[in-house]
Amino acid sequence: MAGLSALAILAILGPLVAIGLILLLRSPRWSPYLALVGAVAGLCGALLGLWAKAGDAIPGTLVLPGLPNLPLRLIISPTTSLLSTVVAMVSFLVMLYAVGYMQEEAALPRFFAEMSLFVAAMQLLVLAGDWLLIIVGWELIALASYLLIGFWYERPGVRQAATRAFLTTRAADFGLYIGVFALVSQTQTSEIAPTLEVSGTAATVAGLGFLLAAIGKSAQIPLQGWLQDAMAGPTPVSALLHSATLVAAGPILLLRVYPVLNGSVLIIIGIVGGVTALLTGLTALAQVDLKRMLAASTSSQLGFMLLALGAGSPGAALLHLVFHAAMKSSLFLGAGIFQHKYHSTNFSEIAAKGGGRAYPPVYLCFVIAGLALAGVPPLAGFWSKDAIIAATFASAQAWLFTPLVLLGTLLTGSYVGRALRLLWPKPESISREVNANKSAVSGWMLTGLVSLTGLATTSGLLVKPIGQLVGQEIPENGLALVLGLAVALVGLLVGWFELIGSFWQRLAQGNFRLDDWLKVLLVQPVLLLARVVSRADGWLHSGVLGVGRTGLNMARRVAGFDSRLHGAVVLTGRAGLDLARLSRQTDERGIDRLIAWMVRNIRLLGGRVRELPSGLVHQELLLTAAAVILLLGLILISR
Amino acid sequence: MITLIIALLVGAALFGIGLYGVLSQTNLVMIMMGVELMLGAALVNLVAFWRFLHPGAYSGQMFFLIIMVVMALEMVVGFGMALARFRAKGSVEMEEAVELKG
Repeated sequence: MAGLSALAILAILGPLVAIGLILLLRSPRWSPYLALVGAVAGLCGALLGLWAKAGDAIPGTLVLPGLPNLPLRLIISPTTSLLSTVVAMVSFLVMLYAVGYMQEEAALPRFFAEMSLFVAAMQLLVLAGDWLLIIVGWELIALASYLLIGFWYERPGVRQAATRAFLTTRAADFGLYIGVFALVSQTQTSEIAPTLEVSGTAATVAGLGFLLAAIGKSAQIPLQGWLQDAMAGPTPVSALLHSATLVAAGPILLLRVYPVLNGSVLIIIGIVGGVTALLTGLTALAQVDLKRMLAASTSSQLGFMLLALGAGSPGAALLHLVFHAAMKSSLFLGAGIFQHKYHSTNFSEIAAKGGGRAYPPVYLCFVIAGLALAGVPPLAGFWSKDAIIAATFASAQAWLFTPLVLLGTLLTGSYVGRALRLLWPKPESISREVNANKSAVSGWMLTGLVSLTGLATTSGLLVKPIGQLVGQEIPENGLALVLGLAVALVGLLVGWFELIGSFWQRLAQGNFRLDDWLKVLLVQPVLLLARVVSRADGWLHSGVLGVGRTGLNMARRVAGFDSRLHGAVVLTGRAGLDLARLSRQTDERGIDRLIAWMVRNIRLLGGRVRELPSGLVHQELLLTAAAVILLLGLILISR
Repeated sequence: MITLIIALLVGAALFGIGLYGVLSQTNLVMIMMGVELMLGAALVNLVAFWRFLHPGAYSGQMFFLIIMVVMALEMVVGFGMALARFRAKGSVEMEEAVELKG
């Protein structure tokens, strides 16, 4: 079966090839279909992998040629192939919906290329058998989410939202690097499976690092704010981002590293998840915007998954992850149709323009998905929430986790009930003129929505098969069943009749002022640091400028000196030349003439003297005698 | 006992006669004889000075012998020249030897 499981790589390659073709053709007409074909290919690959691995305990490993001595591995185990299938399924249906939703947009090739990149990166992250690939996938989904949230970059506030999402998740990614570093440095291998046997301090450090990464990626307390801003993107993006791809990366990562997490880390994970489930549930209850409410609800549901992990039941967490993907994406697709029709996601505006009454099928889907999320049997959410409650019963920290999860369930019911109530306005409050121009819902969108709602409805039947498939025990407890149902129903009633006081709404609407704390604790110091660094930079800059200017001045001065020296040298040379000329003239006119004169005179004198000796011996002797007498006389005188 | 002054007077007289001979004669042989007389006067003076002033030193005698040798050589060269002149011109009269002027 190894050959078949290798086909799971199609899950990555399908969307990847689609990106290439979309970017190559750049055709607004064909790019949606190319993306759809890519998604179908991915789905086929994922399903083949799942079928090949069903009942096979040994995970298949696919070694890709990577760097020298560092092959890149994909791992196809029941868990990864199940997650891959969920990602492929949800992304395919969302893509189907997006074909209708994005019909009137201009930049279709860009949109579908980015969506495909998102899916491919998520598949890579899910199937990665190597820390390197996990990091690559992790970074790529951050990039893709940034691009997609900022898709309508020309609208006000969209760029800020995209940047915020990117920066928040990237900041928390630091934890992933710490965790990976701690594990890899202990085991000297980047393959995931051997690194999971680490224990002791390194495991604690790694666990806390991974928790930080998951908090950022999955919008847990205290980094939950970016997710609601991320609603600035197109609704299919939100649906994808909130269900199967971006935010799911956190629980998926923690599921993968579950063997490494030790008791104390698990308790922290559980507390973070529980507190998030509670606080963001309250936030959701207070929202006046449909999509922002769904975003807060996503944080809350991811909190449940972390809580389940913390309670020691990865099976329950996985179950909720899978079911939540279907439920939340169908809720978003429903909300997207309202947004598309009413050009607003504000509850009161939607209600004023007709709300669910104008589109009963859409409202019906929304109700089903909402009830599933709240945990009403026999819909999907009932089973997974029951599993989580049962897991907390079995946990050692039951006294802490059970109240948290029950309160969270109550809140889930409440905000779902409130949303359903707000979307079903009284007939007399609907303004007539708006109601007149309603148009039919696009077939693409309805298909996607109905299919996903169908998944959310029926996947409850898959609880047992999934448990068997991944080899995890799904906790069950009769008391949990009854308690969960009762709490959910109470919540729904509370929400429907809006029994929540305005104080809580006001407090929760502002995210419990957590953003402000974040601002004071993090943003302001960072800005201050930036300002200081900027000023230091300015100093440095002016210093460098000063040095440069001094150098220039010095150079100028040296140049001046040089030119002066040059002038002096030239002058000296000229003077020397003049002197030489003078000396030549003196030579020619003075000395030469003098010498010539002397020569002439001496010659003359010589001529005269030559006449004196006669050559006759006696005369010459006479001269000699005379000279001797002269000499004697001189001697006598000089005595 | 002749005194130094007498010897010196004799030397001076000899020198005067020699000088006169040199200046007045035109014959080469006679001129050379005048030169010999002047040299003899110098020798008389030398011997007189040695005999009366430094009789114990030998250098005077040595000097005397050297001058004697120089005189002999001078004679040899002088008479050689005179003989050659005579053979060439048939005369040793210096009045005729104007070709000595270079």
